[in-house]
Amino acid sequence: MEAEQAASPHKRIRIDFAQRRRLLAVLGGNHVNYCYQCGACVGDCPTTRFFPSFNPREIMLTALLGDLGTLLAPGSVIWKCSNCYNCYERCPQDVRPVEVIIALKNLAREEGTHPEEAQTIYETILKTGRSAPVIASLKRKRESMGLPPLPAIDMGELRAVLAPEDPPPGDSPPSSTAESES
Amino acid sequence: MKPIKAIFFPGCLIPIKYPQMEVAIRRTLPNLGVEIIDLEGFSCCPDPIYFQAADKIAWLTLAARNLALAEEAGHDIFTVCSGCTGTLSEANHLLRNDEQLRERVNRRLARVGRKYQGSIAVRHIVVLLREKVGIDRVRESVTRPLTGVRVALHYGCHLLKPSSIMQVDDPDDPQILHQLIEAIGAEPVTHDERFLCCGKACIDPDLPLDMTASVLRSVRKSGADCMGMICPTCFSSFDTGQLLLNRKTKEHFEVPPVYFFQLLGLAQGFSADEVGLTRHRIKPTAVLEKIKA
Ligand code: SF4
Ligand code: SF4
Repeated sequence: MEAEQAASPHKRIRIDFAQRRRLLAVLGGNHVNYCYQCGACVGDCPTTRFFPSFNPREIMLTALLGDLGTLLAPGSVIWKCSNCYNCYERCPQDVRPVEVIIALKNLAREEGTHPEEAQTIYETILKTGRSAPVIASLKRKRESMGLPPLPAIDMGELRAVLAPEDPPPGDSPPSSTAESES
Repeated sequence: MKPIKAIFFPGCLIPIKYPQMEVAIRRTLPNLGVEIIDLEGFSCCPDPIYFQAADKIAWLTLAARNLALAEEAGHDIFTVCSGCTGTLSEANHLLRNDEQLRERVNRRLARVGRKYQGSIAVRHIVVLLREKVGIDRVRESVTRPLTGVRVALHYGCHLLKPSSIMQVDDPDDPQILHQLIEAIGAEPVTHDERFLCCGKACIDPDLPLDMTASVLRSVRKSGADCMGMICPTCFSSFDTGQLLLNRKTKEHFEVPPVYFFQLLGLAQGFSADEVGLTRHRIKPTAVLEKIKA
C-alpha cells in the first residue's frame, strides 16, 4: 500500500472535513457536496469572462477540499461574483454555486474578513431600515412631484426581530446521563 | 370592471433615488385598472447583495416581516425593482418549503407579534401586468403609440433567475418585455449583450464598468433609441455608470436608459415632464422627437 503511494505521480490530496462541515452548516452552503466539477457553471459566468482567474468551478473545488482559509482570506475572489445566478441556472447538479458563495460570504463576515464595500449598505439598513440614505431635501422633492411622504419604519420592531436568535424551545444542553447513554 | 388591488412594495432605490419612476408608476397603473394599496411599515426588502452576504438568516427574517405585513393586509404584493422581487420571492419560496426554517424565522417575528404564513404572492410589476392586467389591456390604454421608437431590451438578472424560484419566463428566451414594448407601439430591439449582467454587485474597481460598457456598446451597435429598464439598480449602472465611463474612457456613450413605466406613460399621453423624463441626466431625445412629445 505504502509503496504504491510512493510510486504514484499524483500528489496526495487532503480534505479538511472539519472546515468543510463549517460551510455545510451555513444555509445555502450544503449543496456544494453535489459538485462533480463538470464546469458547466463557468461558461456562462460573466465575472469569469471579464476576470478569468475567477472561476466558480474552482471555488467549489476549493470549498470541497475544505480550504476555507483561502476562500475567507481578506481580498478573497468570492467578492467579485456578480450575483447574476447564471451558475444556479446552469448547474446540472443543483449545487447553486452562487448560494455557496453567499454562504462563504456569511462566514467571512463572522471572521471579519469581508471588504469595506460590503459594509456600508448593510449598516445603513440596520440604522435606518432602508438601503439608501434619505437626505433632507427628499421630502420636498417628493412633495413637488406629487408623491406621498415616505412611510415610517418602526426601527424598534426591526431591532427586536434582528436581535440574535433564541435557542429553539426544548433545546437544553444534554444532561450527563444522556451523554453516557449514547 | 373590478379594480385589481395590489400592495405597492416600493423598496428603497425608486422612492429615494429615482422618484420620477414612482411618479410614472402611480400615473400609469390606474389607467390599467390597478388600485395601488400603500402600506405603512415596510423596510428595505432587504438588499439581496450586501445584506444577504452579511447574514442570510437575518435577511430572510426581514423579508419575512415585510411579507407578514402584506399578509395581515390581505393582498398580494407588487414590486418595482428586480432586487426586491428576488429577495421577497426567494424568501417566500424558502420559507414555504422549509418548515424548520420558517419556525426559526417566526420565532424572531413572534417577538413583535407577527407571523409569516406564506399566504400571498409576490409579483414584479411587469408580471402583474402580464398576469393580472393582461397585455391587451396595456395595449388598449395607449393613446399615443410609440411608433418607430426602438427600445433595446435589458432584462437584468433577478427578474428571471433562478427560474425555478422566479417562474417568470424562460431565462434564455424571455418574452415578457418584448410583449410589453410591442404593446405600447414601440419596437423591441434584441442585441448581443441583452442578457449580460450590469455588474453592479461585483466588488472590484473594474468589473462593474467592464460589464456595463459591454452592454452599452452592444446597445449602441443596435441603433436603439433608448434602453428599456425594469430595475433601478440596472438603471443606475447605465446612468451613473455610463457618465463615469464617459469620464474615464473615450467611449462617449449616449445611450439613454428609461424605466419601462416612463415609456408606458408617454404612450398613455403623459408629457415627458409628467413621467419625470426631464429629470434624467441622459435624456431620451430621439424617443421624444419620434413621438413629437
Ligand atoms: S457547481 Fe455544478 S456546474 Fe459547476 S462544476 Fe460543480 S457540478 Fe458542474
Ligand atoms: S452568480 Fe457569480 S459565480 Fe455564478 S455565474 Fe454569476 S458571477 Fe459567476
